[in-house]
Amino acid sequence: MRKPLLLIALLLTACGGADKAPVVATDIVITEPPPGKTMRAAYLRLTNNTEEAITITRVTSDAFNAVSLHETSVEDGIARMRPIPRLEIPAGQTIELKRGGKHVMLMRPTGPATTMSLKFYDGEHLLLAVTAPLAPEPE
Amino acid sequence: MGPGKLITALLLGAALFAGVLVALRSTAPAEPVAAFVLPAPLPLPEFSLVDQYGNEVTAATFEGEWHLVFFGFTHCPDICPATLQILATAKERLAANGHKSLPRIVLISVDPERDTPDQIGQYVEYFGDGNLGVTGRLDELQKLTSVLGIYFEKQPADSDGSYVVDHAAAVLLFDPEGRFHTLFSGPHVVDDYVHDIPLII
Repeated sequence: MRKPLLLIALLLTACGGADKAPVVATDIVITEPPPGKTMRAAYLRLTNNTEEAITITRVTSDAFNAVSLHETSVEDGIARMRPIPRLEIPAGQTIELKRGGKHVMLMRPTGPATTMSLKFYDGEHLLLAVTAPLAPEPE
Repeated sequence: MGPGKLITALLLGAALFAGVLVALRSTAPAEPVAAFVLPAPLPLPEFSLVDQYGNEVTAATFEGEWHLVFFGFTHCPDICPATLQILATAKERLAANGHKSLPRIVLISVDPERDTPDQIGQYVEYFGDGNLGVTGRLDELQKLTSVLGIYFEKQPADSDGSYVVDHAAAVLLFDPEGRFHTLFSGPHVVDDYVHDIPLII
């Protein structure tokens, strides 16, 4: 009986902690790469449940060798995409990473995968780890 | 004239003015909401590029039907697929509305160094059958973009050797005589295309 109890306890901790977690990710969308390409973009909402601003400086994934924060902007009719060094979530607020704006770039997949992790760090400090389904690359 | 008569005259005048406004509004032709129709269509210059089938693409390629032309590159994960998807969705909705003359969607690569005919073809066909992918030599591309006022600039590569290309976000409509006819400068919205294209084509 010990093992199931422990499992239940862990599950309860996981569920009970979810709304109190300092950073929560919702509405995660990992795009399908166009045929012949492997890079994808991740879009999601990030909510800061704390009373202080949270800064994300690094994102990693088990399924991609190169993960970076980018921002697309259109100014004066010119579309630009640039790496951004950090992402700030103000205290108690939600930011949205979306098409045509800030997003996570996923490049150089490590191999075929059906799910992927996304880990958000402030320096070496892990803020959030999530798992998302990975649609297969189109034929 | 007494004050009563003056008020009556003013009210009558206001009513007449309002009536004229309503009449004008209801008879005015619908105006495009996003499209800018050039005062005079601009003929394309001489240039020689290549499509996904290996065929030469020149100004004459665009004769015979309308084309919606976007400049982008296949390593672009965010705004290029978004724009092509908007154009493809608009075209589907126009077809569903029974609009007969549908423009062909064209992607011209601003990254000809990496985009082979095969790659640009795979990329555009992902957004619909019959789409045209164009790539080729950089100097030939510049002959076309300089006349159309399309800006693009390759950015320095990062440590992995990967790079992005800044490029104009506009969509151009070429008429069946192969001339630059209408500019959609963006932001691109499906509803705007569905509204505007039947007013032009």
